[in-house]
Amino acid sequence: MGYKFSLELIFNFTRMIAISHVSKSFNRKAALDDVSLTIESGQIYGLLGPNGAGKTTLIRIINQIIQADQGSIQVDGKFLTENHWKDFGYLPEERGLYKAMCVSDMLVFIACLRGLTRHDARINVNHWLAKFDISSWSKTKIESLSKGMAQKVQFIAAVVHQPTYLILDEPLSGFDPINVDLILSELKAMKAEGKTIILSTHNMKSVEEICDQVGLLHKSRLIVEDTVHKLRENQRRGEFVVRFSGNMIALANALWIEFELLETLELGDNRYQIIVKQRGERSFEDLASNLMGKIKLESIAERLPSMQEVFLGLIAQEEEKNEE
Amino acid sequence: MLILGPLLILLFTYFLLKFGDQGKNSLRVLIADPANLFDNKITSHPSEAVEYLFYDTYLDYEEFRDGNRFKEFDAFVEINEKILQNKTVKLFYRESPSLDIKMKIKFELERRTEERLIAEFTDLSIDRFRQLKQPLNVDFINVYDPKNQADNNRGWVGIFFGSLILFFIGLFGMTILRSTSKDKSNRVVEVILASVRSSDLMLGKIIGIGLSALVQLIIWSIFVVIGLVVFKEFIFTDIFDPSNYEGIQYAADIKNDILLNASSSRYNAFIDLIFHRINYAVILPVFFIFFLVSYFFYAAFFMAIGATSGSESDGQQFVIPIFCLLLLSFYAGFVAMYYPDSFLATFFAYFPFTAAMTVLVNVSTASSASGLVQVLFVFLILLVHAFIFLKIAARLVKNGILNSGHRLNLSTIWLWLKKS
Repeated sequence: MGYKFSLELIFNFTRMIAISHVSKSFNRKAALDDVSLTIESGQIYGLLGPNGAGKTTLIRIINQIIQADQGSIQVDGKFLTENHWKDFGYLPEERGLYKAMCVSDMLVFIACLRGLTRHDARINVNHWLAKFDISSWSKTKIESLSKGMAQKVQFIAAVVHQPTYLILDEPLSGFDPINVDLILSELKAMKAEGKTIILSTHNMKSVEEICDQVGLLHKSRLIVEDTVHKLRENQRRGEFVVRFSGNMIALANALWIEFELLETLELGDNRYQIIVKQRGERSFEDLASNLMGKIKLESIAERLPSMQEVFLGLIAQEEEKNEE
Repeated sequence: MLILGPLLILLFTYFLLKFGDQGKNSLRVLIADPANLFDNKITSHPSEAVEYLFYDTYLDYEEFRDGNRFKEFDAFVEINEKILQNKTVKLFYRESPSLDIKMKIKFELERRTEERLIAEFTDLSIDRFRQLKQPLNVDFINVYDPKNQADNNRGWVGIFFGSLILFFIGLFGMTILRSTSKDKSNRVVEVILASVRSSDLMLGKIIGIGLSALVQLIIWSIFVVIGLVVFKEFIFTDIFDPSNYEGIQYAADIKNDILLNASSSRYNAFIDLIFHRINYAVILPVFFIFFLVSYFFYAAFFMAIGATSGSESDGQQFVIPIFCLLLLSFYAGFVAMYYPDSFLATFFAYFPFTAAMTVLVNVSTASSASGLVQVLFVFLILLVHAFIFLKIAARLVKNGILNSGHRLNLSTIWLWLKKS
């Protein structure tokens, strides 16, 4: 047992997708310019970027739908070949299913294309339909499904063959909040199973929630690649959320000129939540010592920027750099 | 369409056999002969099909049409006084007679006029005159085909089989085109291409649709063959028996070899062709082989257009030339049938777009140009071209199938062709 466990560990350790110096252009216009990134096994990797940054092109190259002009992709230390097709699952941004087919036939067809036998495909399809509580749609024609229903079927089509690597382009678009939650839960469960997931999305909340690492593409180049936490930390602006009870004059005196009050929210019963921003080299400790004894503190926490803010900040920085 | 197609063919055949010689099959004819030139006589072989009565007063067609006493007659013949000089007779009818009846009346009027001419201008007896009056039979014989094996009737068989190929290519080629552009527009192609090569997708689509075409063709053939057997055995038993044919009986009666031959050949041509003169053992394998290769050849074009078009309605301007080339095959078929040894027929045989039709006509007529070596050579040319154009189509599919929303034009095609 221990032997098997350690082998799995080693195996998992070597499993990753390494993209090296990939470039691709269409009609002499660069869609990807020397992009290199590494996606570790068992990670959820967020591929971010504004529209036209090259995300879909990169995803298509990883899926071998199109070929890179330059560069290479290695999966588990081996160059990407057609043998890897069965290891990948793909949910494209622009969904597509054969409208005249019924749900189960469509899913079995896709699973068979991905290397499953018809028998195994049927078992997996039934499993996923039951899991998403949509077994009753099994014989329903795709054309009669609503957009949200078709999205679910499309998601199942991406995962039905139990791929090791899952590439999802805007997987949450078209889903209601309940189904967004369902999909995010599934992605977390897959991650727990050791699957590697590449997620391209504009939904920054979900990136914060489930992504381990992100790569930000802008104008066909990778401008940053890091963990979500580090990216947020790197973009910190010295803002703190303070909850207290007491009066605001005492607070203003305590903050003095060292901190700037950004927002105030009255919680009732003489309780407040404020957001303050440090000036100069002031730190968390300075804020705490300033406030201590002047007001009745309930909590102080540093407010890290959201991924939305990080995203916008990085793009703005890049634009400034380009202008310079 | 699977069932409807052959049913329509059988229905068409049924109507062709049933009403092929549409028109009145029995007639009461009034012969207005005021000068009594025919002497109230017209034939010594009266038949039930045409009953003649004579009228010795001048009659015009309006009087015949509106007069109550003429209502019982279906037609009247106006024998003018100068018939022996002007050799013109007018027949006015209420309802068009059948072709056979027309022939019979014409023949009988001719013979009666001839009898009057013999009596008026010669001293010969009628029998003697007719013994002397034999038409000159001129036979045109090809020195390479003295037994006239390459007759035109059999060429029609080639045209029929060639047309079948063109029909299925047109029908299923458009299915390929529509299916491909639909896959593009509903985006399923991106999901599929994440699992298979674009060339495999192309071949899968062509083979899949081709197999469905083949299955449909086989089912059609089975239905049509069964239908024809049923027609022959149960419905049109008389029509397939030459002894029941009025024209032949009549011609036999009057011992006119020319008319007998004409009637017999006219009647028997179709039956003889279908049941005796087609070498099915040769033409069917050639048909199936050329069907398959031509299908792949043309399918490459339809697939390429479908994959490169910007929308489902785009690409029509590129379909028209292909259909023109398909239509050119018909012309090629006629050229091969009537001028089998001409340069044009040879060119069409080796031109991939028209090869199938030309070869099928050549094989069915067994013309001098259609040896086994030629068939194999043409097959090889078509095969090579099919392969080349499939490769070209594969490149266009690869580079074009993920692009949509554009307007397809030659420069885009050229760009995608150059791209690896």
